[in-house]
Parts: sequence; structure tokens; C-alpha cells
Amino acid sequence: MNEPIIPKQHEKRRNQPPFLAVYQKMFVVIAAALLVLFFIFPILRLVILSVSGESEVDLRHYQDILAEPQTWTVLQNTVVMVAGSTFLAVALGVFMAWLITYSDVRAKRFLHVLVLLPFVIPSYIVSLSWTQLMSSNGWFASVLTLLSENLEPWNLYSLGGMIFILGLSHYPLVYLFTVGVLKRIPRELEWAARSSGAGRIAVFWKVTMPIALPGIAGGGLLAFLANLDNFGIPAFLGIPANISVLSTAIYQEVVSVHADAFSRAAVLSVVLGGVAVLGTVVQWLLVRKSKQLETAREDRSPRFSLGKFRIWAESGLWTFLLFIGIVPLSAMTTTSFLRTYGLEWTWDNLTWDHYWYVLYENTNVQSALENSLLLACVTTVVVLIIGTIVAYIRINKPSPLNRAAETIITVPYALPGVVLALAMIFAWMEPIPGWNPGIYGSIWILFIAYSTRFMILQVRGSAAAFMQVGASMEEAAHVFGARGSVKWIKIMVPLILPGMLTGAFFVFLTSLTELTVSSLLWSAGHETIGVMIFNFEQAGYTTHSAALSSIVVMIFLAGFVFMMCGQTIWKKRGRKG
Amino acid sequence: MNIQLSGVTKEFGKTAALSSVDANVKDGEFIAILGPSGCGKTTLLRLLAGFESPTEGYIEMDDKQVAAPYGVIPPEKRNIGMVFQSFALWPHLTVQEQIRFPLLHHKFVPSSIKKRKEARTQEVLELVNLTNMAERMPHELSGGQKQRVALARAVAAQPSLLLMDEPLSSLDAELRMEMRHEIQRIHRHTQTTVIYVTHDQSEALAMADRIIVMKDGAVEQIGSPETIYRFPQTEFVASFVGKANLVPGFWKKGVFHPNGNDMVAWEKREVAPYFMKRGVMPVRPEEFCLKKAGNGLTGRVENVQFQGRDVQYTILVGKDCWTVYHPAPGEFRIGEQVVVELAKEQSALRTHTEGHDNIISSTSSI
Repeated sequence: MNEPIIPKQHEKRRNQPPFLAVYQKMFVVIAAALLVLFFIFPILRLVILSVSGESEVDLRHYQDILAEPQTWTVLQNTVVMVAGSTFLAVALGVFMAWLITYSDVRAKRFLHVLVLLPFVIPSYIVSLSWTQLMSSNGWFASVLTLLSENLEPWNLYSLGGMIFILGLSHYPLVYLFTVGVLKRIPRELEWAARSSGAGRIAVFWKVTMPIALPGIAGGGLLAFLANLDNFGIPAFLGIPANISVLSTAIYQEVVSVHADAFSRAAVLSVVLGGVAVLGTVVQWLLVRKSKQLETAREDRSPRFSLGKFRIWAESGLWTFLLFIGIVPLSAMTTTSFLRTYGLEWTWDNLTWDHYWYVLYENTNVQSALENSLLLACVTTVVVLIIGTIVAYIRINKPSPLNRAAETIITVPYALPGVVLALAMIFAWMEPIPGWNPGIYGSIWILFIAYSTRFMILQVRGSAAAFMQVGASMEEAAHVFGARGSVKWIKIMVPLILPGMLTGAFFVFLTSLTELTVSSLLWSAGHETIGVMIFNFEQAGYTTHSAALSSIVVMIFLAGFVFMMCGQTIWKKRGRKG
Repeated sequence: MNIQLSGVTKEFGKTAALSSVDANVKDGEFIAILGPSGCGKTTLLRLLAGFESPTEGYIEMDDKQVAAPYGVIPPEKRNIGMVFQSFALWPHLTVQEQIRFPLLHHKFVPSSIKKRKEARTQEVLELVNLTNMAERMPHELSGGQKQRVALARAVAAQPSLLLMDEPLSSLDAELRMEMRHEIQRIHRHTQTTVIYVTHDQSEALAMADRIIVMKDGAVEQIGSPETIYRFPQTEFVASFVGKANLVPGFWKKGVFHPNGNDMVAWEKREVAPYFMKRGVMPVRPEEFCLKKAGNGLTGRVENVQFQGRDVQYTILVGKDCWTVYHPAPGEFRIGEQVVVELAKEQSALRTHTEGHDNIISSTSSI
């Protein structure tokens, strides 16, 4: 009666548990070791270097740096820049989210895409394009001279300029978070308030706002972190005007060649990284708090009517978004066609020369294009495979160990790019004192830096895809007889592929145009696109940087068209089966 | 398929989802596992499917052990089909492909079917009346149609055990009634053993050959629908399945004196010894009758709900509120004094079920 038919299995398990257990343990140990080596070790090296004196631990570097008045100027600039730009991002983001989600303006999908545009384009290209629009012989200046001879466009090479561009680049983060929350607030809650006698305005402040607040604060903190972490905008706008903030100060310490450079940069990095990690923790707590809305259904239909003001609101929105998103980029593109920077914009002064130069004559640019493309491809593939495996394990076997692994993977992304880059230098220049494997100074250090920094993006993308598919899909495959490979090929991969590829696409574009990390990790012959544009700009070759930036923008547009087509085809195929 | 569960216990961390469940299922039987949410019925089903392993005890299918704490046969190696609560239709496959999937991959497909996969697909589509939907994608189907596809997919490979996890809970009331017929029909047609999890007592009573009533991870009672309904063994079964009022009182010489009232004596047919010991009598709402005057307990009408065929009264007797179904039209109003008696049919019923002592003894031994 009790004849076990699992003898095979169960005896196998009984006979081989030591082997199986050892096998599993080995996997865990190796995975943990790799995590620590690539994700934790560099940061430890950074912290250690900031407190290491001649022989033992001392805080001499901290004392020295904090005693300099210049440090306090940098800190003050950073606080003003981050506070100002975060305020701008939150105000703009919440207002746009509220207007676009709840009002009855038309063509919401296009508005949505337009809002996201400045966020998707790399921020150093955004600031480059605005400087072209606002330059003393740019479009804006010519409009102003029509009004009056004495008007001059606003000087963007200032704290105010940095705040403005940062705010514009990061308000879409607040917008996205707020839209997510607003859509999920059940409208019955508002109706309940209306039927209890509250007016529209009271409903907004007493019901909508308090419920949305954790979500908005989460988005606001994300904008705060992005502003703190950003290197491109203060580098393009602040460095020429001698305004340093933490991220550019670290960069300048590293590239200056004086004796204490690395330890001074390490101290500033620990300060910047500490603030960023703290902000990430608070953001995580806030988002967790707003999760209670997650079960609520999304409700996209408009909740109030603008009536006869709708046409005005729509014109305002479109003017603003087109102006923000497209006009500066067009100004930059026109600059790229000017024979010499500063000339009048007439037919005679136009030329393709700069494109010819950056694409054919300058071998550095060609190798930078190759490097960036190679980096982006390899990073995407590595991250796609490892990130998806991590996401699958994380979702199917939630354990404290796996949660810890996810937290560790988040660290390189949570840290500002300059801090991570510096940590990478310390870790890989001489991983063991006295031994230089030649990773720093080659393209390998960029591979390692990108793969660790963007890993969490893919983990999240794949995890979201798995969550959406749901456990019962996989269970159904098991019940109806599908083992390992069949289950993956026929059921799981087709279901998760769109979500997985969306994550991978994001990783690809981000690493293709990355500037912050590569600005510290590049070496001769191993430039990236971002580094090339930055170097052109620093050397004053604005027409070249404008031409290369225009090419990048074209690549982005092509990429998005490609992705949208892909998604449409995918959906159609799904329908036809 | 014969199934034997012996001392099956499942713990998640420190909480026990199932504690020492014993049951057996005969070949071709339709078994309903009935209980409120959180009673462990879904965990039991997942153990039968092979998604979980027991912490203690074992499960045998056709005298072969398939689950024990040290090892479990995975679902793809069991001869089962399953209908999921959420249907779990794969969004990227057509109706036809969903049904063909088990025919291609299931380990136990009879060779007679394996030879004619296309014909079998058509056959199953006909069985659930979806022949003209074969090319549709899941998102193009209504709830009831999705349900039929899920059913068709589950029976396509002729598994010897069909597991159903609250398959009707996401359908509206009318469709539910229709699908009950459908499931009964398919069961008669296929003669497969069915294990059906539900929290809806009317579903269990209507379809099952036997019902396993569960509460807090333990089996409360196992028996035929009639036994479960008319001869509950525990207070929980009495109130959850029969919606019975638990009338306090005392038993004397086989006669029940409700509310300790010597003057009123209810001669009720057999009641489980459990209730005798506790001085309680379970009385279902339709076993009461209401009168303006008579020899019974007086109470006051607290609430009236007209339900079509019956009127549902809430009567305050002493400190307890009892539910009474009275054939419509009921003539009592809120606040009125009424006399509550046991319905006359009782005596008729009694002669009818003379032999059910055996039923009780046999059910208690299961």
C-alpha cells in the first residue's frame, strides 16, 4: 500500500543530500562573493581611503577640507541648487500631473510623451541646447532685440540657470510618480467628500492632496536625488562660471593632479554619497507607505471639466511643452550647421562640415561611437541575463538573503555617478595592494561600472514583468505537463519578453549616452560619446558638440520609433496569435 | 483516482495552514472542500496539485505515495488537470492552443488521444460549446467563455484527477448557475475524480457526492450533502452549511427543552451527541414555524425580509435572535409578539430518516 513511487526521487534525495546541499551552498557562496566583490568592495575602499592617514585611521582629510572656506561655498552652492531645482520640479510636476490626469484636456497621450521628453534626453544635451537658445546671438536674443535694444537673454551660466535646467529635466520624475498616485485615488472618495458638503477646492486640499502626498513626496525625493547626483548640468553650466557643487568639485579634484587629490575627492564623495543614501532610504520608506493604493484600480477618465477654459488650458500646455521640449533642441541643431560659432543664421553661413568632421575626420569621435555602442550592447546583454535571473529568484523565493542581495544591487545606482566612479578607480586600480591588473585605464572598468550601476534597472523591469504574469500562469504550465525548457520557451519567455525588453531598452539608451561615470573613468582611446561632447564643449568647439549632440538626439528618436513599432507589432501578433 | 490523505499538516513559518488532515477520495467521486476563506482549503488543493509539500503526513494517489515531507512529485508528473480561480489562461495563446497544450505536453495522455490531437481538441471544444471560438485570444472572451476554456483545457488530456479552485467565484450569479450544470455534465461525461474547492455552501451541496467541511486548517465533518446539511456534527457545520440557529436548553429523555423551559418540549430527531452534551439543539430556519398563539416560546419580530418564496424573520427570543423562514406571504409585522414552534413536518421527517443513526456513525468514522 505504502509503496512509494517517489523512490527514485526520494532515494536520490536521501542518498545525495550532502552533494545537493553542497551544490546549493556553493551557488549561494559564489553569488554572495561576486556581489560583495563588485558591489560593496569598491565603496568600502572609498570610505577607507577617506579616513586613512599615513599609517592608521585618522580624520585629517575631513578636518583639512572642512576648514577651507571654499568647501563651505561648494556646500552652500549645492544646497541652493538642489533645493531650488527640487522645488521647481515638484511644483511643475504636481501641477502638470493634476491638470493632465484629472482635467478633460484632449490628446493626453501626446502630452504625456512630451512631458517625458526632457527627462529622456541626456541632461548635458538639454543644457547644451538651452545655452544655444539663450546665447547672445541665439533665437531668444533676436526676439528680445525686436522688443528693445537693451534686453539681454538670461545668463544660464549661473546658479539660477542650473536650477532652471535641473528643474526642467527632473520635473517629469515628480510628474510620473504623481500621475501614478492620482490615477489610483478612487473617485468615490472625492464624491464622498462632495456629498458631505465640501467644495472643489476643499476636496483638492482635504482629500486628494493628503492621499497623494506620500506618492508626491516619493517623486519629490527622487527629483532631489537626481538633482544631487547630476553632473552634466553643473559641469556644462557651472564649471565655465566657476560655480562648483559637490559633484563637479569631486570631478575637479580628481582631474587636478595635486598630491592629495584622491583622498580629498574621497572625503567629498563620502559626504555626497552619505546624503544620497539617506535620501534613498527615506524615499523607499515613503513609497512603501503609499503602496496601500496599489491595489486600487487605475481610473484614467477625466474628473473635472475645464468648460470654455479648456481651449486656453490646452494652448498653454502645448505652448509650454513644445517650447521646453523642442525649441532648445532646434536651436542646438541650427548651431550645428553654422560655419563658425557666432555667425548670423543666413544661407551662406550654413554647412554640413561639422557633421562631416565629427563623423569622418575625427577618429576620436569614431572610436567614441564604437566604444559607447559596444559598452551599451555588452552592458545590456549582461544586465538582461543576470538581472532577469535575480528578479526571478527574488520574486519566487523571497527570503532575507535575497532581499539583502537586492539592496546591495541598488547601492551603485543610489550613489551619485561621480562617487561610484571614484570608488571604481580605488577598487580596480590596485585591487590587491601592489598588483595592478590593468582594468583601470582600459574599457573594462567602464563595463564593470555600467553593469553594476544599471543592474537594478533591469532587475526592476524584469521583476515587474514577472509580477504582471502572475504565479498562476506558471502553475498552469506545470499542471498541463510542461517541464523546465518547454515552460520557459512556450509560456514564460513570450509572456515576460515585452517587459524585459523595455527594461533592457532603457539600460541600453542610458549607457549609450552616459557621461557622469565615464567622465572620470575614460582614458585615451576609450572615450564615450558623452565624454566627447563634454571635451568639445570644454575646449570651446561648440559647433562640434552641437553636431554630435544632434546625432545623439536623432539616435534617441530612432530608438523610440523602433520601440513603439516593436510594441505595436507585438500587440498585433498577440491578437492574431 | 483513489486518493488517501494521512495526517497531512502544512505549516508556513509558525502558522499552521493545515493540521493533520485525514481523508480519502474514491475513484470517480465529486468531492467538494467547503469552508470560509482562510480555512486551508486552497492549501489542501495546492498540496494535491503538487505546488506545496506537506510539513507532516503523506498523500497517496492510486496507492502510490506522491507527497511526503522529504519529497514531492511535481505537478507536471501527476495525472491531474486544474481549473484556476483566475482561469490562468495564457494571454498569448488562442483558445485552440490553450487546449492543445496539455495534449502536447501532459505525461499521461492516453495513446488513443495522442494519435488524434486535432480531433480531440475539436471534441473538447464541442463539449464546452466553444467550437466557433477556437481562434480567439483570451482577451476576446467573456468571463463565462474564459471559464469554459479553462475547463476544456483541464479535461483535454483526460486526467484522472480534476482539481478546481473556486472556479465560479469570479462569475456573476446567473452564469454561476449555468456553469454548475456544465461542470456536472462534464463530470458525468468524463467520470473523472473531481476535487472542488469552494466557500459557497449551495455550490457544494448542489454538485458534490461528498463534502469535506473545513475550518481553521482542520476537517470539521465529511459526508454526503444531505448528511452534512441535516445532521451536522459541530456547531460550525450547523451554522455554516445549514445556517442553523443554535438553541440553548437541556436534553431530558431524548426531548429538548429550549431556553430551559420545562413547559416546552421539542421532540427532535437525532442530533449529534456533540450537541446533546452541550445542551444545544441546532434548528435550521425552515424547521421553525411561527404562530400567533400556541405552546411554544414567545418572541418579538425584530426584522422582516421578503424574499419571494419565503419571508425571512428575525425573532428575538429571550436574549437571542433567531432566523426563521416562513412561506410567503408572512402575516407578521415588526414588533409583533409571536410564538415560535418546531415545524410539524418534523414528525414526518422523523419516520423518514429512521435509519440515519448509521449515517451518523459512519460519517464520524470517516
